[in-house]
Amino acid sequence: MSEFHLTVNGGEHAVDAPVGTSLAHVLREDLGLTGTKIACNEGHCGACTVQIDGVPRLSCITLAHTVDGEVTTIEGLREHPLVESFVRADAVQCGYCTPGQVVSAAALVAATPQPTREEIRHAMAGNICRCGTYPKIEEAILSWQG
Amino acid sequence: MELLRPSSVEELDGGILLHGGTEVVPLLREGLLTADRLVDIREVVPRGIHDGTIGAGTTLAELEVEPAIPDALREACRLAASPQLRNMSSLGGNLLQATRCWYWRLGYRCRLQGGDRCHAREGEHREHAIFANGFCASAHPSDVAAALVALGGRLRTNRRELAVEELYRLPDEADRSTTTLESGELLLEVELPAVEASTYLKATDRKRWSFPQVGVAAARHADGSTRIALAGVAPIPWRIESVEDLDAATPLPRTEWKVPLARALVRRALAALA
Amino acid sequence: MARLIRTEKEVEGRFEEVWIVVEEDPLEQWPEGPLAVVGRPAPRQDGHQRVRGEARYTADIRLPGMLHAAVLRSTYAHAKVQRIDLAPALALPGVRAAIGPGEAHGLVEEAGFAGAPVAAVAADTFAQARAAIEAIEMEWEELEVVLDPDAAVRRELLTAEPRSYERGDVERALAEADVVVEATYRTQTVLHNSLETHQAICEWQGDMLHVYISTQYIWGVRQAVAETLGLPEDKVRVVCEFMGGGFGSKNGPDEYTYVAAELAKRTGRPVRCALTRREENTSAGNRNATIQRLRGGARSDGTIVALDGEFTNSVGWSGWNASTEGPMRMLYDCENVRTVTYGAQLNTPPMKAFRAPGFVEGTFGLECLVDELAARLDVDPLELRRRNYASSNEGTPYSSKNLEECYRRAEPHWERRHEVRTRSDAVWKRGVGMASQIWYGGGGPPSYAWVRLGSDGRATVITAMQDIGTGTRTAMAQIAAEELGVPLGQVDVVLGDSARGAYASISAGSSTLPSMGPAVRAAAADAREQVEDIAEQRGMPKDTPLEEIVAVLEESQILGKGARGPNPAGMSVLTFGVHVVEVAVDVETGEVQVERVAAIHDVGRIINPLGASSQVEGGIIQGIGHTLSEERLLDPETGGVLTSSLDAYRMPTIADVPEIVCEFVDRPDEHLTNLGSKGLGEPPIVPIAAAIANAIRDATGADVHQLPISREEMLRALREADERARVSEKEKRGAPAAV
Repeated sequence: MSEFHLTVNGGEHAVDAPVGTSLAHVLREDLGLTGTKIACNEGHCGACTVQIDGVPRLSCITLAHTVDGEVTTIEGLREHPLVESFVRADAVQCGYCTPGQVVSAAALVAATPQPTREEIRHAMAGNICRCGTYPKIEEAILSWQG
Repeated sequence: MELLRPSSVEELDGGILLHGGTEVVPLLREGLLTADRLVDIREVVPRGIHDGTIGAGTTLAELEVEPAIPDALREACRLAASPQLRNMSSLGGNLLQATRCWYWRLGYRCRLQGGDRCHAREGEHREHAIFANGFCASAHPSDVAAALVALGGRLRTNRRELAVEELYRLPDEADRSTTTLESGELLLEVELPAVEASTYLKATDRKRWSFPQVGVAAARHADGSTRIALAGVAPIPWRIESVEDLDAATPLPRTEWKVPLARALVRRALAALA
Repeated sequence: MARLIRTEKEVEGRFEEVWIVVEEDPLEQWPEGPLAVVGRPAPRQDGHQRVRGEARYTADIRLPGMLHAAVLRSTYAHAKVQRIDLAPALALPGVRAAIGPGEAHGLVEEAGFAGAPVAAVAADTFAQARAAIEAIEMEWEELEVVLDPDAAVRRELLTAEPRSYERGDVERALAEADVVVEATYRTQTVLHNSLETHQAICEWQGDMLHVYISTQYIWGVRQAVAETLGLPEDKVRVVCEFMGGGFGSKNGPDEYTYVAAELAKRTGRPVRCALTRREENTSAGNRNATIQRLRGGARSDGTIVALDGEFTNSVGWSGWNASTEGPMRMLYDCENVRTVTYGAQLNTPPMKAFRAPGFVEGTFGLECLVDELAARLDVDPLELRRRNYASSNEGTPYSSKNLEECYRRAEPHWERRHEVRTRSDAVWKRGVGMASQIWYGGGGPPSYAWVRLGSDGRATVITAMQDIGTGTRTAMAQIAAEELGVPLGQVDVVLGDSARGAYASISAGSSTLPSMGPAVRAAAADAREQVEDIAEQRGMPKDTPLEEIVAVLEESQILGKGARGPNPAGMSVLTFGVHVVEVAVDVETGEVQVERVAAIHDVGRIINPLGASSQVEGGIIQGIGHTLSEERLLDPETGGVLTSSLDAYRMPTIADVPEIVCEFVDRPDEHLTNLGSKGLGEPPIVPIAAAIANAIRDATGADVHQLPISREEMLRALREADERARVSEKEKRGAPAAV
């Protein structure tokens, strides 16, 4: 076991987990933050996307012990205007990919407040949605107010 | 398993090297790599661009938006993987990634794993190689590697300097490795000569987040020569001199389709350079 | 007055006769068009929970003391367990129990496919359970492996008797036809890949089993688990409030539920058994591959006189024989039709229902065949479909059919083809194609709902249904709000727990809305009538706002109950639609780009146009996946799945989405329940592959006969079209000069 510290959504946490444990696992199991979903556990779907220092990364293949920087999960974005925008645009079906979508989208609009469709498609291509909610996700990002 | 984080190359002492982790972590989890020691080399490997030299720790996301690098490299980075993976992956790691051949990835005891068969040759090989596929039919997945070979990049490791293409070797009976990297050797920097023009074209099935079915990098160099390198067609990045070299391809029954595809892309790449 | 009647129930194209208790449903349907709440766009009631990551899926549930299970699966495609020793697993740290073949339903001794579940272990952590699985000692006797569907059919290795159908005289009609097209179409094995994998948590509390499960059918799981474990159904509680996708693969309990239940029993602790993504892609079901050997004959006036199909479904080790022949039988008014459908038993993972099983595959073959006929006849494809319009389902009247209206609305989209074609150049060829859609979607009884009103005037719709992401929760709220005459914000919907509500239909086969919706309306109407009674007793006018009428109630509540009535007798309840697709094809590289899809659907009354458009977009995008890039591949030697990870099994990303235009006919089916609404979950995925293939033919003259339309297939079809053109040029030049 190996103890380390994580800053998540502005709060400090002491975690004790074996080396090799993923950040996604630590978030969900040790910190009880189950908003971040694990769908493939090998970096092929984007459901586990979190931000580290504002940069979207895949938490399922990030080793928790190697995290430098502040982690932002969907729980830290619950007041983000994108949330309202997603709900209004109906940019959610089963919802399993949605937290990851919002995390990626939040990073996009932080860098580019009014992205074009092209920019949206390029920046969001790392978040798979099996339900096919993509058109509504695009609308949600195009129409967000912040 | 222990995790070390050295601050200099001199401190390296065995273990599996880890930078972005996008290849190593899944391989460890699947048991395709085993390790008692992981060595986080983010402090050790240079990152960033200065004087035409790119640190091997630079991420693909950083390169994707970097105006001071040749088009072929920037485009290869832009089309690689997904945004999150580009944020995490390093240039060096991308060059060293293993094949996507499903037999290899699923742990079949194939030639690359030290066994005595190539399961793909005899079995399901529709995404595999059209060159140098007699011993191992795997296809090299790196867009960036093809771009750097076409650009004539030179690598500096902690042991030597070499052309990017010298980093790769075809596996053979005696040695199943596809890279020439020695144990304890790590990539530090890439130096790119100035080129007059370069381009990277990539064929995939879905538009994003796909390894190349065929990727074509081409660069016109200051001495007037044109270098062409392909991804997805051989176990290592594959240089050709001209589109006619594709006539020498040795496709498998279900990789024949890659030949006309490669021809079309090579022609288009050359036309784009003109 | 309660009546017991026998009625026909359809799910996923399979029919059964059931007994149901019905109350007379005196409710008249609402008039056509948007009402106060129904027919208006409504954001999802649970939208914030899902978007914020607050929704708790089965994967997120943690019970105190919960153990984790891992499953040992056969790596052989066909083998029998000769010896199994669980002791080494039990000796490992954290391991609390281990079971082998036959010790839980679904753990088999004879593995019929690579991935078949054989043994399972429960441990403190999933990693420990996985390590324990590796330690189990096994000896296997390898048996013969059959992977080829045609070989299986030849050897009569079938999962059921072949299904034959005939009307008229196909051979005679083909002989007399002016044009005959014969072609073989192939579709691939497609994997559902719901983002939340199959999983269940089982916990025994006394003699009661609590099952938390990612499922499309709470009541089906309850029934199956009770029956299998020999329990009264009331002793099984099934919970599913949020689930991360199913698409037909989560209609029953499967082995992981029984594994969890058995390990929970043995350890006295809750046990989670969750599939990994790799297991999901090997063992959790699939849309089976098909081989369709088709012939079609037509007269030069455009009448399709004969349709003949031999369909081979690669069912797998077990499963059912989907109706790939359904569209050929049902879509057109053709007098002479013959079909035979084989369910090949193979040593491959069993199929499961996947969004319009059979009809997606069959529509690809049929609608491509129809367009090939149109090309040979030199008749416009839309015109050809109209000329062969079926006005009844082989004599049985439709409860409603507005396919002609769909065709009419398709005209402006179809008209675009002239302009689209002009934008072709030497490399990129552009064209437009279309395909018709027919499918089920009428739902059926039983389903029940209660509406509870309190003195604050807020209504709670109490159900034990599931919302699998289709937005049915919101639609139920809209229906109740409309019937009660209150704003949508005054209505909550409770769902997801069999202990808290009565039987609800499966959320598959496009069933939820047409099954639960009428029950909810009836319950709301019952509540409303009681409110009106109270208003009358209080001397209040009928249009008094509901909250004023009930304000006097204090602790009393009004409880309305409703049930789904029967389907109209002697009628076929079906859904219809048409897709018009614009594509661009790079004829040198074989790249196919879908640029625009116009989707027009006839599913009766639309409750929530916002949610409905999401269903259509989602079905189209999922269909683009199976049309262009998705394919489950097997190692031909071992029968093992090669595409078990999502880098190899490639689903569409946001970058693959075309322009999608979505229209609904939105006419209530006047014979179907108090709503006139049919289900929309499946219709949008049915015609998209055929429409894309037909657009490719329009753009390039190439006939694609296989899904997915990979570059390999596209280049093959282009070469074949080139060859055809060369041959016909030669023939023209070689022909004697004669005019």
